[in-house]
Amino acid sequence: MNPLIFTTILMTVLLGTMIVMMSSHWLMIWIGFEMNLLAIIPILMKKYNPRTMEASTKYFLTQATASMLLMMAIIINLMHSGQWTITKVFNPTASIIMTSALAMKLGLTPFHFWVPEVTQGISLTSGLILLTWQKLAPMSILYQISPSINLNILLTMAVLSILVGGWGGLNQTQLRKIMAYSSIAHMGWMTAVLVYNPTLTMLNMLIYIMMTLTMFMLFIHSSSTTTLSLSHTWNKTPLITTLILITLLSMGGLPPLSGFMPKWMIIQELTKNSSIILPTLMAIMALLNLYFYMRLTYSTSLTMFPSTNNMKMKWQFETKRITLLPPLIVMSSLLLPLTPMLSILD
Amino acid sequence: MMTYIVFILSVIFVVSFVGFSSKPSPIYGGLVLIVSGGVGCGIIVNFGGSFLGLMVFLIYLGGMLVVFGYTTAMATEQYPEVWVSNTTVMGVFLLGLLMEVMLVLYVLKSEEVGVVFKFSGVGDWAIYDTGDSGVFSEEIMGVAALYSYGAWVVIVTGWSLLVGVLVILEVTRGD
Repeated sequence: MNPLIFTTILMTVLLGTMIVMMSSHWLMIWIGFEMNLLAIIPILMKKYNPRTMEASTKYFLTQATASMLLMMAIIINLMHSGQWTITKVFNPTASIIMTSALAMKLGLTPFHFWVPEVTQGISLTSGLILLTWQKLAPMSILYQISPSINLNILLTMAVLSILVGGWGGLNQTQLRKIMAYSSIAHMGWMTAVLVYNPTLTMLNMLIYIMMTLTMFMLFIHSSSTTTLSLSHTWNKTPLITTLILITLLSMGGLPPLSGFMPKWMIIQELTKNSSIILPTLMAIMALLNLYFYMRLTYSTSLTMFPSTNNMKMKWQFETKRITLLPPLIVMSSLLLPLTPMLSILD
Repeated sequence: MMTYIVFILSVIFVVSFVGFSSKPSPIYGGLVLIVSGGVGCGIIVNFGGSFLGLMVFLIYLGGMLVVFGYTTAMATEQYPEVWVSNTTVMGVFLLGLLMEVMLVLYVLKSEEVGVVFKFSGVGDWAIYDTGDSGVFSEEIMGVAALYSYGAWVVIVTGWSLLVGVLVILEVTRGD
C-alpha cells in the first residue's frame, strides 16, 4: 500500500478510537465506532488473497450489526431520558441492547464466532491490531455505562466466554486461532469484574494488551503462524524460545509472573462481594487456557519437536527488527511485585 | 387519512425496506430504495422539516442513488433476480410482508403497543402541533447550529468521508 495512504488510514483507526473514548455525546461515540470500522478494513486486507477478503467481510458484517444495535440502544435511551450525554443508561431495555452490542464488538460469547475466523484469515500484524487496539473502544464504553449494566446478562456472557475461550482453544495448532481464543477468555475475565470494580477491568486490559503484544511480536520475529513452525525457533534464536516460554506462562496466569496480577485481583474483588462459586468456576476454567499455553511451551521450548532434518533450519532473509520487544517482555513477566502500588487507585 | 399520513408513509417505508433486504438484484434494490427515499422524505416533511426532506431528494436520491444506479447498470448480469424469480427471495419477502401486516393490525386494533418499548397505538403517529417554536423553523436552525456549535461534527464527518474514499479506493485496487 502507498505509505502515505497507509499512514492516513492507520491514523484514522487511532482517531476513531480516540473519538469514542473522549466524546460525551452518544452520536459522536457511534461515529467514532464507524470511523474505526471503516478505516481498519484495508488494514485487515493488506494482502490480497480470498482469505483476507473473507475475514474482512466477516469482521465488517459483525461490527456493523453491533453498531446498528448500539444506535438502537442510543435512540431508546434518548426516548426515555431525553438527552444525549454519556451517563448510565436509564432504561433497562436500552441497557441490555447496548451491552449486547458492545459484547458483539468485543467478541464475548455468544457473539464470539467471528474472532477465530477473522484472526486466522489476516496477517500477524493486522491480527495484533485487531486483538489489542480494537478492544479499547468498546471496553471504554462498557466502563462508562457500568453502573447500569444488567448483572445477569454480563456475568453469563463473561463465564461462557471464559469457558468457550478455554475449550475452543484446546484443539488448535494455528497460533492466530490460539491467540483469538485467548482473547475471548481474557475478555470474559475483564467483563466479569466490570460491575464490581471497573478499575480492575482496566488493569486486566492493560496487562492483557502488554502480554498479547509481546506474544505477537515474538511470533512476528520468528515468522511463525503454526505450532510446528514455532517449534523450530530453538535452532535460530534460543533466547526467543525462552522468552516465548515465560510470556506464555504469564498469559496463563501463573504466580511469579505478571499475568497472575489481574486474575488475583479479580478473584479477590469477586469474593469481597460475596460471590464464591463464580470465581472458583472462573479459576478452574482458566486451567483450560493454561493447558494449551503449556502445550505450546512443551513443543517449543521444553522439547525438540519431531521434524525431518531438513526442516530444522528456518529459512529467513534477514532478522526482523522488532521495536520495543525487550521492555514489553520485561513488563509482561516481571510486574507482579508492583501489585501493592494498586492501592493508589481509587 | 391525513391524520394518519405519517403512519401510512411509515408502513410503505418498512415494506420497501423488506423489498430490498430480501435481496433481489441490486437494480431492483435501487428501485425500492427510490421509493423508500421518497416516502422517508414525506415523513420528514410532515414533521415540519421541509429543507431536510428536499435535501433527501436532492442529495440522496438525485446524487448517491443515481451514481449507484449507473454503477449497478455497468456491473449487472444477464438475468437479474426479481422478487418472484427465486424461491428464497420470494419467501423472505412474503415473510417480511406478513410480519409487517401483523404488526400493522396489532397497532390498529389495540390502544397500547409494547414491542420493544411501549407506544400508544396509532395515536403516536398523528402529528400535533405542540410546542411554541415561535417565528423560526426549528429544523433550519438545527442545520445552522451544525455549522456553528457543531463544528467538531463537521470536521469529523468531513474526515470520515475523505477516509471513506481512500478506503474504497484501497479495497478495490487489488494487487
